Formats: sequence, C-alpha cells, structure tokens
Amino acid sequence: MPRTLLVIDDDRDIRLVAQTSLELVGGFHVIVADSGHRGLAFANEVRPDAILLDLMMPDLDGRKTLDELKRMPKTASIPVIMLTAKVQAHQLDLMCHGAAGVLVKPFDPMQLPNQVCEILGWGPSKNDEEQSDRAAE
Amino acid sequence: VTGPRNENKVRAALEKVWLNSRPEAISRLAVLESFIEKLRSGRVDDQCLDVARSAAHRLAGSLGMFGLDEGSSCAGNIEALLCQDSAPDIVLIEDLVHQLHNLLEATPAPMKTQQNRDL
Repeated sequence: MPRTLLVIDDDRDIRLVAQTSLELVGGFHVIVADSGHRGLAFANEVRPDAILLDLMMPDLDGRKTLDELKRMPKTASIPVIMLTAKVQAHQLDLMCHGAAGVLVKPFDPMQLPNQVCEILGWGPSKNDEEQSDRAAE
Repeated sequence: VTGPRNENKVRAALEKVWLNSRPEAISRLAVLESFIEKLRSGRVDDQCLDVARSAAHRLAGSLGMFGLDEGSSCAGNIEALLCQDSAPDIVLIEDLVHQLHNLLEATPAPMKTQQNRDL
C-alpha cells in the first residue's frame, strides 16, 4: 500500500509536476488541492501520511494553513513540508511553526521524492518499476 | 536511481505538462513586458507591482522544474528587484525580461531535467 501525500499549491504547474514526480518516481499515492481551504478539507478527510504545502497562496496562505493543520486534532500529527521559493527568510520561522522541513522551488522532479523521504526519515522512495507502473495506472 | 523505463515515462509526462504550461509561462512573461511599458510611462501603482511580482514569482518557481534553470534564475532576479523598497531599476529589469523572453522563445519543446542532462 503506497503512502499518501497531499500536495497543496495554487499553481497548476507545480501541482502537476509534483504529482507526476511523486507518483511515477516515488511510487506514492498523491492527492492535490489548489488552495489552503481545500487542502484543510482534504487533510481532515483523507489524513495523508504527509503534506507538501506551498507558502505563498492567495486567501489562506501556507503559514495560516500550517497553523490550522497543527491546531486541528485530526491533522496535528501529520508532517508538513513547506514549498517555498524564498527559503532563507522563512525557514527558521516555519520550523518554529511546526513544519517538518522546507523544500525550495523550483525542484527537480527526478529528485523530489527522495528529498521528501529524506526530510521525513522514510528512507529511499519506492521507485521500482512495479510500484511506478501501479501508480501510473 | 529511477530505471530507464520510468525515466522515459517521467520525461513523457513532464513533456506533456510543459506543452500545456508554456502558454501560461508566455502570458506571465507578457505581464512583465507590460509592466515595463507602465514603468517607462510612470504608470506603475501598487496593484500593478503586485501582479508583476506574482508573475515573476511563479516563473521563478516553475521554469526550473522543466529544466529551464536559467529562466528560473532570471525570473527570481526580477522578483527580487520588484521586492526592493526603492524604485525598480528599469534598465536592469528590462534586460532580465528580455533575457527571459529569448529563453522562452528558444524553448518550444520541453527541456531536460538535471538528471536527464547528466545521463
């Protein structure tokens, strides 16, 4: 049973590339949300193994979404990795808010799953052919 | 390491994404080009600056995923210039937007990822 990741990003390209990479290279099951509000709803409903959350989003931004995820009992323990293009200014602050780590955009789609696993201490991603074939179907 | 079959699958999927994304990247570039026109004519307000910043931010965050590292870096530099407290340097921004234009124009097909380039 592959692990489930929730990707929350308002940028369609980022969602598509992250999903492609995490499914085909990493063998994860991926669900996506295009806003903080939708992400909170999915996180509550699905309770993914981890969340990749964009920092800069209109309306409910990544920081507020992270605070909300950590506040809700059903989602508080889900590790959250922040996606940001401006790592230096935000990294320490985000770690204080309870993020498991920070990934800088743009990411290399071939490397993303391993970076996620490294941050979460999951070991190498399952990128064998059989796993990825299943994910692609 | 991802196997060759996966490598091809990922590449094909990313090519498809890029083909769909390129028009959006071009329209974000158009936002920046229009911003320069406004900057020249002194018609820049906060809203216009925010829209340009957002376009640069999105280009910086997405182009590199398709192997367009130079474009990403160019857009990142534009964003940094637009985030400064002082008035944006029109010559510098214009030069960067011009570079970005040339890079995107020269990239009708998807670029290779870092790993693909290393193969």
